[in-house]
Amino acid sequence: MTAGLGLTAVLVVVVAAILIGAFGLRLSRTTSDFYVASRTVSPLWNASAIGGEYLSAASFLGIAGLILAYGADMLWLPVGWTGGYLVLLVLVSAPLRRSGAYTLPDFAEARLESMAVRRTASVLVVLIGWLYLMPQFQSAGLVFREITGAPPWVGGLLVGVVVGVNVLSGGMRSITFVQAFQYWLKLTALALPVAFLLFAWHHDGRPAPHGEVPPYFTAPVTVAVGTDVTVRVQWPVTVTATGRVDGRPARGEPLTLSAGPHTIAHDTTIIFPAGAPVPHVESLPVLTDHEWALPLHGREHPVYATYSLILATFLGTMGLPHVLVRFYTNPDGRAARRTTLVVLTLLGAFYLLPALYGFLGRVYTPELLMTGRTDAVVLTLPGRLVGGTAGDLLSALVTAGAFAAFLSTSSGLAVSVAGVIGQDILRGGVPSFRAATIMAISVPLVLAAVARSLAVADVVGLAFAVAASSFCPLLVLGIWWRRLTTTGAMAGLLVGGGLAGGAGFAVIVGGPAGGWAGALLAQPAAWTVPIAFLVMIVVSLLTPGRVPRGIARTMVRLHTPETLDVNRGDWRPRST
Amino acid sequence: MTTRQDESSGFEQLQASAEFQELRRRYRSWAFPVTVAFLAWYLLYVVLSGWARGFMGTKVIGDINVALIFGVLQFVSTFLIAWLYSRHAGRKLDPLADKLRGEIEGGAR
Repeated sequence: MTAGLGLTAVLVVVVAAILIGAFGLRLSRTTSDFYVASRTVSPLWNASAIGGEYLSAASFLGIAGLILAYGADMLWLPVGWTGGYLVLLVLVSAPLRRSGAYTLPDFAEARLESMAVRRTASVLVVLIGWLYLMPQFQSAGLVFREITGAPPWVGGLLVGVVVGVNVLSGGMRSITFVQAFQYWLKLTALALPVAFLLFAWHHDGRPAPHGEVPPYFTAPVTVAVGTDVTVRVQWPVTVTATGRVDGRPARGEPLTLSAGPHTIAHDTTIIFPAGAPVPHVESLPVLTDHEWALPLHGREHPVYATYSLILATFLGTMGLPHVLVRFYTNPDGRAARRTTLVVLTLLGAFYLLPALYGFLGRVYTPELLMTGRTDAVVLTLPGRLVGGTAGDLLSALVTAGAFAAFLSTSSGLAVSVAGVIGQDILRGGVPSFRAATIMAISVPLVLAAVARSLAVADVVGLAFAVAASSFCPLLVLGIWWRRLTTTGAMAGLLVGGGLAGGAGFAVIVGGPAGGWAGALLAQPAAWTVPIAFLVMIVVSLLTPGRVPRGIARTMVRLHTPETLDVNRGDWRPRST
Repeated sequence: MTTRQDESSGFEQLQASAEFQELRRRYRSWAFPVTVAFLAWYLLYVVLSGWARGFMGTKVIGDINVALIFGVLQFVSTFLIAWLYSRHAGRKLDPLADKLRGEIEGGAR
């Protein structure tokens, strides 16, 4: 793709986002407007809007990258992200709608009648939001670099600034039709190129990954290395290198790489002969095609990792700050259920596409396993498989879709996070909200710049783990268990959120580790979620005197059908 | 926050009413087992992957093996469970809720 075309695609998306934000201001003034106006929104629109806000960079780029690197195991991520909606629907959505809480801190305060619990919930919302925003900015850097070769922080900063402008101008509030449009844009941006890719692949004689060998270069390939990497070479191979290899300058003469690890400096290009096995970057496993297609081969301790992933995604969805508010845009419980059915269909349809990209990437762009930038597979495939103008246009479309993914998810999250910081952590009011917006965006930006480059979907997985270990027990026990006490909820939130957050922090700062320690830290949910539930239950049983006084009223409000015109008490969320 | 003078009276009565208890019981007796059942179904996939490698690696069409087909079926099963829940709620919960509403509105006013 030419840089000009790619930049044009990005600019179009950015300008559209700002314009829609500016006009959207007139459309949605306050939460209650949004609440009332939305009574006319049909389930399909609503579901598209949920999909538009939910499908982030992790879905658009990350899953394809993980499937390319690790294979069939990674199908669990999209399954879990879809299944999380099911758990949300069956266990908490109806009572939560009736509670009248717009945000998770609202719910915590209403159910436990304690400002301390509310503040703890607020801090967790901010933490989860930051963990979720950081990989969005990192991916924006990756995409921008693919287009222009600019350093990674540039793209992140660009998205950060656009999101900040949008949030401060009051636009991009969860405006239903904008978010709905985003879903269809993302779907088109992946589906249209896939049609071309499959056609080209068919035309090519349908080469597929199979057999007992790891991926190899099918034709002579020039690999441009962007950042310093250490790769493992399997058996000696003679290449042509320009740049620095193993600390020595190379000027285009033939060079024999012995088997074993080699360091390649940034901005080095290496030409591999056809038939050479692809050297893998140190952090990725070398999988034969047969292993790649089978589950439980991808990572160390795969059974543990898979279970943990399932727990985090299934139970974490209900604790994401930008998911909850959407349930209010349904007029009643029946519509909410219909909306969820449509959401599941839309998400399922979308998630088949990244899997195809991952599969084709294994065949056509195996060099990403060497540079370690597997998240770029969606962006590189169209140009590789479909040449000429068509390829350029498809690449531009995918790039636009990726930017739409960053902008829509980041805007929704930044609004949630800034709202919580402004209301609950600072002192409320307009100046607070400005400061809060800057905090909400700058912290993950800095994190994205200094953190080790992790796979985008992995970091989002950590955000899910924190949500599953803190808000899931709070919501499930809060809704279904009368004897939950203020002290118990507080202890569970602190212990669960603290443990999962600490594990995430260790991975982000220290990079992925090996062995059991690495698996336990990278996928903490399997041990942090049970601990959080246990702490909440045990501490509640130990402090029976701390059951909130209005528990009877709260339970009636949560469990009487919405059509029932009883006095639900007049608790109203403060932050509307 | 609200005044707490009528704390125990109306709400406690409503909570104790047979219909309200029945409504919650119907909801819970369906939601909890189903949640456990579908989590078990997803976990079964992992167990099969671990202990029935030969079966999961069986090639069905070209290079598509049983494991991949199962993976895609997970999406289908997620949708099916959600649809079952909707049907259950529509048939079992909503009518009772409407009945409860009729009684309270008829009796209380």
